Amino acid sequence: VTGVTGATGDDTAAAQPLVLVVDDEPPITRALSAALAARGYKADVAATGQQALDQTALRDPAAVILDLGLPDLDGIEVLRRIRSWSNVPVIVLTAEGAEDRKVTALDDGADDYVTKPFSTPELLARLRVALRHRSKAGDGGAGDEPVLVVGDLSIDLPRRIVEVGGRRLELTPKEFGFLALLARHAGKVLTHRMILQEVWGPDYGTESEYLRVYASQLRKKMAEDPARPRLVTEPGVGYRLIDRDTPTG
Amino acid sequence: MDPGSPWQRRALGLLAGLALVAIGTLVLLPGRESVTVATPALVLVLPGIVAGLVGGRLAGVVTAAVAALALDIAFIEPYGRPTVHLVDDVVALIAFGAVALVVATLVAQAKDRRRAAEQRAQEVLRLSEEKARIERDQHRLSSEKTALEQAEDARRALLRSVSHDLRTPLAAIRAITSDLRAGARYDAATRQDLLDVVGDEAERLDRLVANLLSLSRIEAGALEPDLQAIDLAELLDDRVRRLSRLLRDVRVETTLPVGLPLVDADYTLLDQVVTNLLENAARHAPRQSVIRIDAREAGDMMEIAVSDEGDGVPPAERDWIFEPFRSGDASRSSGIGLAICKAIVEAHGGTIRVADTHPVDTRPVGGRSPGARFAFTLPIHRVRPDVARPEVPA
Repeated sequence: VTGVTGATGDDTAAAQPLVLVVDDEPPITRALSAALAARGYKADVAATGQQALDQTALRDPAAVILDLGLPDLDGIEVLRRIRSWSNVPVIVLTAEGAEDRKVTALDDGADDYVTKPFSTPELLARLRVALRHRSKAGDGGAGDEPVLVVGDLSIDLPRRIVEVGGRRLELTPKEFGFLALLARHAGKVLTHRMILQEVWGPDYGTESEYLRVYASQLRKKMAEDPARPRLVTEPGVGYRLIDRDTPTG
Repeated sequence: MDPGSPWQRRALGLLAGLALVAIGTLVLLPGRESVTVATPALVLVLPGIVAGLVGGRLAGVVTAAVAALALDIAFIEPYGRPTVHLVDDVVALIAFGAVALVVATLVAQAKDRRRAAEQRAQEVLRLSEEKARIERDQHRLSSEKTALEQAEDARRALLRSVSHDLRTPLAAIRAITSDLRAGARYDAATRQDLLDVVGDEAERLDRLVANLLSLSRIEAGALEPDLQAIDLAELLDDRVRRLSRLLRDVRVETTLPVGLPLVDADYTLLDQVVTNLLENAARHAPRQSVIRIDAREAGDMMEIAVSDEGDGVPPAERDWIFEPFRSGDASRSSGIGLAICKAIVEAHGGTIRVADTHPVDTRPVGGRSPGARFAFTLPIHRVRPDVARPEVPA
């Protein structure tokens, strides 16, 4: 059960969605292919950036899992080329500690990222979120939802009312904008730059310290449990609002 | 030509000037009736100039005064005594004195300039020596800096490649175990395949960790082979059997001559050399190709070689392929395996080199990859005669 109103069941629309796995390490592609097949996806494998581009064009996959360390092309470059003609959801696999690469990938159009070594259930959860957002965007866009619901959090956009478990929150306009933006993309990571430009305006982009302050105010107002927060900090990258009642493994 | 102290110079100048006054006066004296006073006047300018040149201003002026007096006494009537021809005397005195002064001043200035120039030259020399010293220091410092940077680069390259090599097997293991823990349902064949991946990757990690341990021993200078007599056939058989999963897509052929002597080596270290060479060969060998292991005696040493049918090592890369962290980009390995082989082999007093499996002249035109043949040497175990020939039972 997904947490966003109206999204339930959308990812089962295609009978067997094709997922392209791009990695040059056979042990990883074998593991991922098996895991995807066990969940009702079809899996295709590409070992180089060029193969990834060819197969994305030829086979029109429902999503791409893209390792950024490829032998022939830089993964970011592969992502940019895919993005020049395709909106296919792309989840990138990155090495630990490469925050700048994650941010670049997200700013260049990746839907999400997973850090190696990763947990397969977590990767699959990110994949489901990306597929859901994409199918919703195809139905007319997430911006049309009047009320966003993420777990026990509900945001009435026209009336600007936010409730957590039925309790109404008093939010400033920026806090409301920040939370509503995250809720519109529930489950998905948004970079500092994306949030600042959307909520503060196009002249902003590097003031990630603002976000730290607003995130901590929001957590206080939502009475967040620090052990199981809804508003998750992705260090060095951005923020993500998750439905904490939906297990991700 | 150092004229000595200033007073010596002055005295010398004065002496020369007075001598010239005397000579000039004596030379011109007999003919004083036949010449005008202008001749002795012009002649007597000279002593002042000479005195000024040699002895400086004071000598010049004194000489000029004496010359003026001599002119007055010897060449202006009445002869023989000083007379007061105010205008003539004063003019002569001033003219002689001025000439002597100007000359002496010019000389002094020239001397000052020369001295200043000499000082400047010395200063320039000193500065250029200083500059050379600073440049030497800078050069030394910059080469030390370069060496440090190279060491730092090497350390960073090691960390990068090791973390890549550690992360890849870990990523596969974690992906599979997290998936199984989450209750993924697999058919028996897939399940077996995933377990094989986990097992293979765990072994890969094990080999990498063994190499890292050896690397740290090598860097600490603590690589001391514990020598014993080793039967190569036994070691090779055991190692090939243990690597059967890694070598499952190739065929390994071991060819050892009958009666091959034992070698003197550290079993664990030699095993690591063989493992690294086989792993390297497996990485580059085409599927279903043959990896050959052979050995032969070469004087006091045994040469052991592992040959594959891959793309081979270009001659330009053969010099540095045994340097740490310099493996070809495509192989995606830590690049420490071959460096460790080299360190171990050399610690045994042997050598290691790479050549083509199939030398150019034996290759059919246009066909067949060169392949890589890694050959290393180890000392042959020399059996002491008393042990070698056990007493034959009577």
